[in-house]
Parts: sequence; C-alpha cells; structure tokens
Amino acid sequence: MTSDEVLMLEFQGGSRAAFEELFARYHEPLYGFFRRRLDGSERAEDLAQETFLAVIRANSRYEPRALVRTYLYGIALKLVAAERRKQARDVPPTGSVPDPAIDEAPDVALWVQQALGKLDPSEREIVMLREYEQLSYSEIAELLRIPVNTVRSRLFRARLALKGHLESRAGSDPCSRTRPASRAQDEACHDK
Amino acid sequence: MTNKHPIETEELMAYLDGELPADRATVAVAHLERCPDCQAFAAEVRDVSRRLMAWEVEAPAPHVPAKIIAELEERERKRQKPTTSSPIPRTRLMTRRWAWAGAFAILCVVVGLMVETPLYKVQRMERATGLSVPQTAARTKRVTESANAATGAAADSNGLFHGLGDHAKNSFSRNGQPLSDQQSKEFEKTVLSAELQSPASMNLKNSAGPMIIRTAGVTLTTNDFDRARAGLDEILKRHRGYIGELNVSTPTGSGRSFTATLRVRGDQLDATISDLRKLGRVESESQSGQEVTAQYVDLEARLANARHTEERLTDLLRQRTGKLSDVLAFEKEIDRVRGEIEQMEAERKNLRNQVEFAAISATVSEEFREQLQLPVSTSGRMRNAAVDGYRTMVEGVVGLVLFLFSYGPSLLLWGGILFFPARFAWKKVQRRFAR
Repeated sequence: MTSDEVLMLEFQGGSRAAFEELFARYHEPLYGFFRRRLDGSERAEDLAQETFLAVIRANSRYEPRALVRTYLYGIALKLVAAERRKQARDVPPTGSVPDPAIDEAPDVALWVQQALGKLDPSEREIVMLREYEQLSYSEIAELLRIPVNTVRSRLFRARLALKGHLESRAGSDPCSRTRPASRAQDEACHDK
Repeated sequence: MTNKHPIETEELMAYLDGELPADRATVAVAHLERCPDCQAFAAEVRDVSRRLMAWEVEAPAPHVPAKIIAELEERERKRQKPTTSSPIPRTRLMTRRWAWAGAFAILCVVVGLMVETPLYKVQRMERATGLSVPQTAARTKRVTESANAATGAAADSNGLFHGLGDHAKNSFSRNGQPLSDQQSKEFEKTVLSAELQSPASMNLKNSAGPMIIRTAGVTLTTNDFDRARAGLDEILKRHRGYIGELNVSTPTGSGRSFTATLRVRGDQLDATISDLRKLGRVESESQSGQEVTAQYVDLEARLANARHTEERLTDLLRQRTGKLSDVLAFEKEIDRVRGEIEQMEAERKNLRNQVEFAAISATVSEEFREQLQLPVSTSGRMRNAAVDGYRTMVEGVVGLVLFLFSYGPSLLLWGGILFFPARFAWKKVQRRFAR
C-alpha cells in the first residue's frame, strides 16, 4: 500500500487520484475526530471538509517533514480550537454548551462521554487522541507540543481516572480486583 | 520500580500501548507472565480502552463532497493555465515578438564583436606601441643595416647589448680570427631575430582584454563597531578576498576605527563595495582605474626579447671560442640579461596581480559615545593617596641609595684630599682670630 507521504507528494505533483485515496483513508477518522469533540454531525462534516480544503490550498507549501496523519490532525486540532472559540463568543454565558453527540448516543456511549467529560481537558485530549485516533505517544507530543514523557504520565493519570469513573458507575471497588496503580493507593487498599 | 514489581504501572501501560523500548518491554513481558496483579492491571487498561470504544459515531457520507471537488478542479485549472493551448493574448504575443527581436539583436552584437575583435586588437596594439606593421618592417630594415655596419656585432635594438664593449663586439671570433662573412650573418641573424620579437610583433601574440588596475576607497561610520569588523570578514569570505593590511585603533576619548586594505578579484569589486556600504553610513566613496594594457604588452615583448637574446648568446658562447677576456665579457653580458629577465618577470607578476585583484581602502569609524565618568569614592581616593605616598617614599629611598652609589666614591675621594688642607686653613684662621 502506498504510504500517506508518497500520496501527498503525488498530489503535490498534480495527481487527483492520490488526493482521493488520502480522502478515503482519512475522511472517516477526521469526521469522528470532530464528531466526538463538537456538537452536531453537520458541523463535524463541515470541519472535516475544511481540513481537506486546507490541505488542498496549502498543498504547494507541504514538506514531508512529519507524517501526513500528524499533519492532518494538526489542522483538525486548530479547527476545533477555532470552533470552540467561536462557540464561546456566540453562546450566551448563561447557557450551557451541549455535549457532543449526546442527543442521539446510546446509554453506553453517553456514559463514556460523561466519564471523559470529568477529566482534565489536557488529559482528555491526550486520551482521546490515543484511544480514538490511535496516535502514538510521539505523534501526540508533536501535535500538542509537549514532551513524550508528559504525554505518557498524563495518559496514565487519565486512564486511572477513567477507570475510577467507569467503575463507580458499575459500583465496583477499585481495590477489589487489580494491582493498585500507585503506592499511595496500594497503602490505602492495605489499610482497608 | 518497586521490590515487588520490577516495572512501574505507567511503563506497563506504555507496554500495552506498544510504546515501551525493547529492553523494558522484555522485562514487562517476563513480569506480566508471572504477576497476577499486573495481569489484572493490564486487563483493566484494556477494559478501559474497550469501554471507550463503545462511543461510536456514525460514518460520514462516503463520496467526495462537491466543495472539495470544486476546489480540486479550480486547482487543476490553475496548474494547467500556463500550458494551456487557449489563444494567447495579444499582449503576450507582442512580448514574445519583442523577446525574439531582443535575442536576435544580442546575437548580432555578439557576432559583430567576434568579427571586430581581432582587427580592434591589432589597432589597439599599434596604438599601445606607436608602431604599425609597415613601421615594424622599416625598423627591421634599419636594424639590418645597423648590424651590417657593425660587422656582425650585436646591434642592440632593445638596449640589451649596450653593456658589451666595442672590443668584444668587434673581436669575437673563431680562434682569434675576425668573423667571416658567414659568421657575421649568423650574428646578424641573432640580433635580427631578437628585433623581430619587438613589442609590436609580440602584441599580436599576447593580446587580451584591456588590463585595468582598479582601486576603490570607502569611508564609513558605524554605531556597531564589532559588527562592522565581523561583517568585513564575512564580506571577504563571501567574495573570496583577503586583507592586505589592517590597522585598528582604539584611542581613549574617541571612537574606535580601523583602516583596511582589501584585495578582491576585479569581478567582485562592485559586489564587495555594495556589501561594504551596508556596514554603516557611507561618508565618502571613490573608485579609479588605470589601464596598463600597453605597459603589460611592452613588458611581455621585452621579456620575450631578452629571453631570446639570452638563448642566442648562450648558444654562441657554447659554439664559439675566443680570448678569455672576451668569453668573460659575454658571460657577464648573459648574467646581466638574466638579471633583467628576472626583474621583468617579477614586474609582470606584480602587474598581473594588481589587475587581477582590485584594492579597496576601507576606513570604518565608530560613532563615539562619551562614557559617564563616575567620581572616585573617598575610600578609593584615600587608597590612591596611600599608594602614591608609599611609592614616593620608596622612590626617595631608592634615589638616595642610587645617589650614594653614584657619587659616594667621588665624594669620599675629594673629602679625603681636601680634608687636611681645609683643616689646616681652618686652624690658621682660628689662630689669627685668637691673636
């Protein structure tokens, strides 16, 4: 299979087929990226298209210094940030921002969204990039401009927190089944 | 890492994500196989991921949206525009016609120059030496007559033979006999061949473009002296030049300055001056050129002439015999010619170097900013006074000791000599007053 970077260079050389292949590979992931972060499927579709339009317009300036995947999600992250700023300006301060994709989500999905919503925003972004976009630690670090070790530690904290949120929903005891995640938790479990 | 678990839970998570280095991954695998706690932790991490996957989103429409297609087509149109076969606008056609006309004109000029250059060179060489080809022929005839008149002796057409005495000229012979007609003709041939290497004839061989010694001067004022100094080196590096001479002065109470003589290739002169102007504010600038084509051509001709004369003299000395004094005179003449050749070669090299490398005299001065002079503190002044006092005391003692060493022996001597007469006179005076 031709790599994304080769396709991008071919598209830079004028190949429309290369772009269509890239579109086929990344349209759905990008739509999912926006859909999980913003409210409304139409807006997610619009922003996914905006991402590809940005790729087309900036194609002449593209240099294969990073993975195409990182390049695309970098554009997507900027579009999400711009969209959130816009929403913050447009929505009155008294109103609450609707959670993304809640209305039509089934119970389990709603439960996951609520658990994610309880996380710190920086940790939430990392865990979502890892779990849904399947980015590596180094790709996340490059996108968010933070060290790889920071990505790993924040991801670890986020997963522990998620485990707690999800288990609290299930009503299970965090010490009952698994190895404690930290020494403090270990001691707390022993005290019990 | 704990005693119980050789691997941290965070590392275990990284292992499950496939993000752990190979050495640590090996440890993680080995530990995970036998540690039930860590197996449970790994299961929970996987469980969290699995639960997160429960949040699925609907798939978007599979087709490429119209907006993107339109953008792609627009992009393709832009790409194809330069190569499209659509009718070329009239203005572009006119531009192309002018371009072709310009190219043709340039071609004509180049061809014309190629045809004109040889004729121009001959004329220029004649101007440089003041001789035309017919003049050269006339000169050759004149020298032939001169050579005949000297009975085959060396007629010095270029002053190369003027050191040879008449005796040697007239008596150089085979076995002490006067030169026969044939021998005279040989000698004449030597002199004539030397004459034929005259400047006018040599010009035809060594003609090249005009040789100009270019010099320039730039005086600048800068407010960042160090940057200007570093910039000078950078400019020289960029234009492959070198510093002929550099003087930096940092006087107290005024700004720093440096004067440099830069040597850059002639074709880099304008670019170098242009870069030098950027180092500061230009106070003055000058450029001059001195054409030395004639001088160079003349030098080349004289050099070739001298070489030929040396060669012929050496041949004659090798083939002929004569009186010892005559042989010595010829050797002395050869030495003199050799010396002139070396001198001319050095002169030619210097001339070439001057033409090849233009000289730029750059003077860069710093805008002087008076420094605030803070008054010296009282303690500092007291310390300075104490130091001065100590220095004065030491210098006084040293001066006294030096005086004693210098004049002590003389004083002792004169004291010893004058002591007794002085005492005698003193006692005599005392006695007189006692009466």
